[in-house]
Amino acid sequence: MHNCTETKERFTELVLDGRITEISAAELDTCAECRAELDALNMTLRMTSRLSETAAPAESYWSGYHARLRDKLAIAPNPSHAEKQRRKEKLGPLFETMRLCVRTQVRVPLPLALAAIIACLALGVFAFRRKETPVAQPPLLVHVPVQVPVVQEKVVTRVVYRDRRSSSRNSRRAINDDAQAESTFAKSRTSSTDEIPASLNGFKPTDEVKLTVIKGGSPYEK
Amino acid sequence: MADSDTELIKRAQAQDLDAFCLLAERYARRIHLLASHYCQNTQDAEDLSQEVWLKAYQAVQTFRFDSSFYTWLRRITINTFLNHRRSNFFRWRGQSTVVQLLPIDLDDSGELVGSSSASPENIYNKLLFENVINALAELTPSQRLAFLLRHYEGMSYDEIANAMNCSTGTAKKGVWRAIAKLRARLSPDSHEPEPLIDLASEY
Repeated sequence: MHNCTETKERFTELVLDGRITEISAAELDTCAECRAELDALNMTLRMTSRLSETAAPAESYWSGYHARLRDKLAIAPNPSHAEKQRRKEKLGPLFETMRLCVRTQVRVPLPLALAAIIACLALGVFAFRRKETPVAQPPLLVHVPVQVPVVQEKVVTRVVYRDRRSSSRNSRRAINDDAQAESTFAKSRTSSTDEIPASLNGFKPTDEVKLTVIKGGSPYEK
Repeated sequence: MADSDTELIKRAQAQDLDAFCLLAERYARRIHLLASHYCQNTQDAEDLSQEVWLKAYQAVQTFRFDSSFYTWLRRITINTFLNHRRSNFFRWRGQSTVVQLLPIDLDDSGELVGSSSASPENIYNKLLFENVINALAELTPSQRLAFLLRHYEGMSYDEIANAMNCSTGTAKKGVWRAIAKLRARLSPDSHEPEPLIDLASEY
């Protein structure tokens, strides 16, 4: 079945490719619209093709054209220079700086140059020797977690028992030795009972507590 | 015996200006024709085509013989055209429908082939030239370029798309729209002089 839209699209390609003969006359005869479209298209492209001939300059034009072109080419940068310039632009300013560093020449007096070379050599030897000296290796530090017990204060109450039997044998001997202490103890005990403060106001505990345990004590001991 | 393209290109790569000028003489007409269709102005066409040759001369060392010289040159031409379009150089002239016919009558720079200014054929040629140039000027630059490459250069849509950095569909659409506009502008039912249509029918 004839499709005008498809046929017209096909016409364009066929006319552009110069394969207009592939269009069958029978197909065109059946549709006047397609026929008119093909004619218009053909004429349009023929007119534009004619433009190539119409707009073509005369032969005399070309001699002047090539002379002007040669003049322009003569003053244009030559291809190798242009290529170098393109590469340089691609590599950018970093390359330019590096190239400048490498290619820069500085005039240095000979004695100064010799002195600089000797100084460099001396520094090199010194650095080399310094490297050779054995260096005590620092101790290897290993971090090991250690649990340290926390000292806590606690009140220890100790009951001291006196052995009466063993002490009876020495009691005679020790009674004289301890007479002084006993009397002191007794005195302190009585005085302490007598001088019990009514309250603890103003009481300050001492920093050090001195405890004296007396074995084989006085007969007042329980 | 004329030197082959390969020989001339090798000499041009060795900075032989004469060899490059010989290459330019071989292909200058085709490049100039594209340029004149593209920018619709004789002076602009010369400037544009010579710019193409300058670029080709500076890039000739990059030619690797993996395509024909004209294919390589056409690529430079298309890029130059597109760059000119971007730089707005021809826009004000391209938008204009005023056609400069003066160079056609000049002896030195724009004389028509085999034409004499008094002959009826020359008058028709001028009318045809003016009419087609005006129709081409109404196309957008990309439509015009796609049409020129398809119609005058016989390039496929894939080649056009590759050269213009667009999709094949875009290239095809550009050509078809260009043809539709040209057809509307140049068709017999448009208000064009009868002799021109008759002349077109003769060819």
